[in-house]
Amino acid sequence: MQTANVNRLTPYLFLAPAGIIMAVALLYPIGYMIYASFLDWNPSQRIGEAEFIGLRNYLNLLGDAAFRESFWVTLKFAAIVVTVEMLLGVGLALLLDRNIRGMSLLRTLFILPMMIAPVVVGLMWRYMYHPTVGIFNRTLKSLGLEPIPWLSDGNWAFASVIIADIWQWTPFIFILSLAALQSLPQSAMEASRIDGATGWQQIIHIKLPLMMPVLIVTLLLRLIDAFKVLEVILVLTNGGPGLSTEILSLRISRTASEFRELGEAAAMSNVLLILLMILTFAMFAYSKAVEIRTARLRAAAEETAI
Amino acid sequence: MKFLQSMLGGTAIAVLMSGTAMAGGHGSPYEPYAGTTLVINVPAHPHYNAMMKVLPEFTEETGIEVEVDQLQYLKMRERQTLELTKSEGDYDMIAYVVFSKADYIFADQLENLAKYFMDPKLADPSYDQTDLISGYVENIGVAGGQKGYLPGQLGSAYGIPYGSETSVLAYRKDIFEKHGIAVPENYDQLLDAACKIPEVEEGMGGMASRAASGHQASHAFLLHLAPLGGRVFDNQWEPIINNEAGLAAANALKTIVDCGPEGSQTFGPAEAAAAFSQGQAAMFMDSIAFAAGFEDPSKSKVAGKVGYALHPEGLRRGSQTGGFGIAIPKNAQNKEAAFLLMQWLTSKKGDKLVAMAGGNPSRFSTYADPEVQAKYPYSATFGEALKYADPDWRPIIPTWGKINADIGTTMSQVLTEGLDPQEALDGVATRAREIMDEAGYYAWQ
Repeated sequence: MQTANVNRLTPYLFLAPAGIIMAVALLYPIGYMIYASFLDWNPSQRIGEAEFIGLRNYLNLLGDAAFRESFWVTLKFAAIVVTVEMLLGVGLALLLDRNIRGMSLLRTLFILPMMIAPVVVGLMWRYMYHPTVGIFNRTLKSLGLEPIPWLSDGNWAFASVIIADIWQWTPFIFILSLAALQSLPQSAMEASRIDGATGWQQIIHIKLPLMMPVLIVTLLLRLIDAFKVLEVILVLTNGGPGLSTEILSLRISRTASEFRELGEAAAMSNVLLILLMILTFAMFAYSKAVEIRTARLRAAAEETAI
Repeated sequence: MKFLQSMLGGTAIAVLMSGTAMAGGHGSPYEPYAGTTLVINVPAHPHYNAMMKVLPEFTEETGIEVEVDQLQYLKMRERQTLELTKSEGDYDMIAYVVFSKADYIFADQLENLAKYFMDPKLADPSYDQTDLISGYVENIGVAGGQKGYLPGQLGSAYGIPYGSETSVLAYRKDIFEKHGIAVPENYDQLLDAACKIPEVEEGMGGMASRAASGHQASHAFLLHLAPLGGRVFDNQWEPIINNEAGLAAANALKTIVDCGPEGSQTFGPAEAAAAFSQGQAAMFMDSIAFAAGFEDPSKSKVAGKVGYALHPEGLRRGSQTGGFGIAIPKNAQNKEAAFLLMQWLTSKKGDKLVAMAGGNPSRFSTYADPEVQAKYPYSATFGEALKYADPDWRPIIPTWGKINADIGTTMSQVLTEGLDPQEALDGVATRAREIMDEAGYYAWQ
């Protein structure tokens, strides 16, 4: 009887260390953040001294025009960069999925931007966008064109941070799509070729559908990252001019350090977290639905074949 | 440059000043503390770089060693907030940015200096407090008086100004002379000159000013608000930033930025100073701390061509006050030795040493010193400017961070997106009132 009990407990015993680490490293900070979001907490106070104010931080956020603005800026930013990066990255991967000489060198070159520290990327672009000595405006001027107010006009500044982000993160999508492409079953390709599919038909009907699971995960990773991007924008514009590039993570960091409202910053982080969770669930639900659909189609096909 | 500093700021630069010499003669007030090592936190800032040069002398004289942790100035507050909330802190002395004064003192984290100045074993009778620049002391050192953050009958000192600044107008003597433009003495002349220069001198902006969204734009706006007769709040804490004076200040800033060098809308202080020192602007009105950089031929194309004048007069004279003060944290471990260091640094001797090494004096006598004036010819003007330093040009209250940021982003919208200045200021006033209301400032009405 005793041994049976011990035997039943064994798996849990082995799981325990992982469980404890999870609890300490993941659940504790999240719990802390959720708790903090109900406090009126100034960094000069210890957490125990902070006043409990219930949902007031969240209510304040709803009424805060600057927060709504930066929420909107974040959504716009994420939607644009991820769409453009997916198109460019997958396009490049399809283009370069062939045996070119020096391919490995080319691939390394392509993923270089991703390897540079974000602060450096920000600085680099900042100097390139510089109104007088930056390479872009100098080139425009030497061509006899009007210089562009890259960082000093709201719309241009927004475009500028998007360009920098696309430059840095397209390679990520490229490299993952390329890996997916190269691991596609050759038999399917061959079959389609024998059936006389053109290049475009192959891409649309064979390659893309087969890559889809990888693409969805890639998209998700990029989307999560795009919502959290901070350093590049911090260095490039620090959210300005006005609030035109003040994405949520920047707003959170300013709320915590500049406005000294840790509770409100925690509430904002939670809103961001909830948003990301909804996105993630939606994405997984979608891929699950697709999987079930293909499984059903396959089952149907097999049935008719019989 | 600024970014380099902020990157470096992440990793604390600790420099150990080692001293071998023994303390002075028998019974010297420093003797009981010889061999102590003080840990201090200061910003990466020209003044504190100059302080690093004079510290070995302190160690030699007193036998007290000093370990310095230098951080980028906007990063200091985060670190200090963490340190000050610990039960036993690592810092024996901190240099704080003036707007941290309210937070630290309100949270009861700084030592009141009275008991040190009353202790005959610690206080040097020849210290001469009256010689300290009063505008700085009022702005940076004292709290508990009028409005809480200003001096007054019931106020007392928590810090001593060290590395403090005021604003002066730097201008290009050669350009002004070439076009027969008089050095502006009031705001009308200043704005006229700012917009005349780009017309007569091709490729040159009128005045380089801070304007970047956030703290910088707010700073630039407030710089004009005080001389033009405005304030952020009246004595009952009602926002009056949107009155006529506020509108005049916003319009002045817009005129200056519009007539400024290319890309002005995103300038921080470092970029604005760079534009001036590279000859892209004919005027620069900001902290006196930049002067040394303009006169350094290895960094500046305009060395020797720059004149300095008082901050022009609007309805009144009022130049900014800012910079840093030094204080002893409540949780410091070597408070007495830290006080001795503070006292030594801000003494007549220490102040002159740091001034000669390129720092900003904290004493009137240092500005009047012939040796200092000979080495830095602009000292006389700066000493004059300090008489008009306005300790109340911006409120130093715990809610200021949020209001400051709001002023800054809204001003940036005025400068870049064509938002109407009156509408902008009305918005700021409404939001500021909400913030103040929530913080309990209207409980007595």
